Amino acid sequence: MTARERADRRTGLLFVAPALLALATLTVYPGLWVLWLSLQERIPIFGIAHFVGVRHFAFLAVDARFWNATRVTLVFTGVSVALELALGLAVALALQRQRAGRRLALSLLLLAWALPSVVTAKLFEWLYHPSAGLVNVVLGGHAFNWLGDPRLALPGLIAADVWRTMPFVALLCYARLLTIPPEVYEAARVDGAGRTATLAWITLPLLRSILLVALLFRTLDALRAFDLMFVLTGGGPAGTTETLTVYAYRSLFQTLQLGFGAAIGCVIFALVMLVAWGYLRALRGEGAAA
Amino acid sequence: MRRAAWLLAALALAAGCAERPRGAEPATIVFKHAKILGPLDPIPGLLREFERRNPGVRVRSEALTWTSDEQHQFYVINLDGATPTFDVLLLDLIWVPEFAQAGWLLDLSPWVTRDELAPHFPAAAAASVWNDRVWGLPWNMNVGVLYHRADLLRKYGLAPPRTWEELVEQAQRIRAGERDPRLEGVVWQGKQYEGLVVNVLEHFWANSTALLDEHDRVLPEPDRAAAALAFMRGLIERGVSPAMVTAGDEEGTRRVFGDGRAIFLRSWPYAMDLFEAADSPVRGRVGIARLPGHAGGAAGVGATGGFHLAVNRRTRHAEAAVALVRFLAGAEGQRAIAEAAVALYPTRVDLYRDPAAIRAHPHMPRFHALALGGRPRPVTPYYLMLSTTVQPEFSAAVVGVKTPEQALDYAKRRLEYMLSGLR
Repeated sequence: MTARERADRRTGLLFVAPALLALATLTVYPGLWVLWLSLQERIPIFGIAHFVGVRHFAFLAVDARFWNATRVTLVFTGVSVALELALGLAVALALQRQRAGRRLALSLLLLAWALPSVVTAKLFEWLYHPSAGLVNVVLGGHAFNWLGDPRLALPGLIAADVWRTMPFVALLCYARLLTIPPEVYEAARVDGAGRTATLAWITLPLLRSILLVALLFRTLDALRAFDLMFVLTGGGPAGTTETLTVYAYRSLFQTLQLGFGAAIGCVIFALVMLVAWGYLRALRGEGAAA
Repeated sequence: MRRAAWLLAALALAAGCAERPRGAEPATIVFKHAKILGPLDPIPGLLREFERRNPGVRVRSEALTWTSDEQHQFYVINLDGATPTFDVLLLDLIWVPEFAQAGWLLDLSPWVTRDELAPHFPAAAAASVWNDRVWGLPWNMNVGVLYHRADLLRKYGLAPPRTWEELVEQAQRIRAGERDPRLEGVVWQGKQYEGLVVNVLEHFWANSTALLDEHDRVLPEPDRAAAALAFMRGLIERGVSPAMVTAGDEEGTRRVFGDGRAIFLRSWPYAMDLFEAADSPVRGRVGIARLPGHAGGAAGVGATGGFHLAVNRRTRHAEAAVALVRFLAGAEGQRAIAEAAVALYPTRVDLYRDPAAIRAHPHMPRFHALALGGRPRPVTPYYLMLSTTVQPEFSAAVVGVKTPEQALDYAKRRLEYMLSGLR
């Protein structure tokens, strides 16, 4: 490295220093603090604060409620993200072909995405009402107990989440579709490609990277899902909709077990980081290929 | 006595002000509370009256979010900090021992004698005291009661049931006679939240057992507790309660009964004001009774709830804040709330015989006896830990994914682990 390069580097560091400092104080410091907290028994209202090492993590390893919450979180994330991507893609493709009323369709899509999730939750509380809810009326007057039946509560929540966030995927894909030059399609047609072939060999490959981005955002969001279940079911019935974030919230803010709650928080953090790392690797590979 | 207290308050304020360089700056105290909706909210008027009587004190009222969980979270975050952002707070009585233990509340014992608690319902007064000190003053009262369709019971020549077993029989008989598939037997709160714990506690008590006994033992008689839970599950299995109760909260179940689609409802007094509203389908057809007991158990008793007024320990205006609490919880403050047509019930016993209050709520004398017999939930600083730990287990037993024995066994083991480090 020449002296010139070194000087440049130093200036560069100087320029990014404020950003790094902000990142450190806002992210790294609280993160480390939570990690430190998770190694303690800390319940302020009883004046308890002492180091316990990995005891909380050891308890979590055999805690049925924790494993149930982990399972609920993973099922919720897997199913809702898969449905959101599939439906979002289908809607984007439909929008591309649609001529009339496209503007109206776009605003309707945005509406679902723009509603605060607590409002969405309240909306679905009504839709799912066993005797007065629209869902049961549409299904032919069955008295499905959507939010009170342990087999139906999680599917009900997933449907609400898909309704709310599918537009996000649809809009992302639609925006990408608009940037594909028509010449590409013309060339495909000249080569004799049919509808399916065009979709499989042109549209989908070109949407790949944007789909990966949508997948990343949606997965990270779904892993941290909280408000829908908190408002609609409170984690019930029988804990069948209790995600890790709801469990962490109950431990931290309701029972004020800061150490124990922080331990759950660390697990969520590790899970999210793992997934983000995997996706980022995939995305980087994508960038190299393109 | 009262005059002396005001004088003291004024003197203390004057002294406080004298220390400041700017002199006669008015003390502003912030009152944090859940807003009473509608134009009939009596609080603003009460606060202005307080200001008129206490020159130099201003009260700013700040609204709190609606749900109990969010209120608790707000208080936990803001009371733990060093700077007081509010002076007087309205809090759910189950939080009083917890906040007192945490050192967040001002000990009111130097101002409030036990005599001052005497005019309140015993269950409400008991919730103000923790470790022999007074931490708050009762502000409004709730008690679990059994609503029934008086017109239907009369039609079949029945009196309100004294046991749950009798209630089941009555519900079956009335439904067989009415032949209305939309008419449910009894609705109650079975969603996984605090309301479920209240409902289960009432069944425990009716079955002569408890969640926490006087020696702080968790679930001292698992067999009796399991029988109570099994009975609740049985209500759903036998079709006496609709399956929707497993997701039912206060408002959801209140609407079912209020639409005339249930014979019995377990709820709080506020529901009566809505059943008697001008556009209510069940207006004039609703009766109130004590909750049933269990055959072979104890007589029924309703759980009590309500809100208390307390002072932030870090307040800079302790005298004025305590004065405000005593004014709002006092005879005049509570009368204003009782006489307004809002569905809040005072904790001062004599107001249940007050003509103006009875004009606003004609059924008040009926609630008097029920509130007198009410029983508080366990008064302990770890109540929330207790409640949130048992919620998923009670829910599991009520929806039938676990047997009552399995659910209680897990709840007991978990609670013992959680509490072992605290005692």
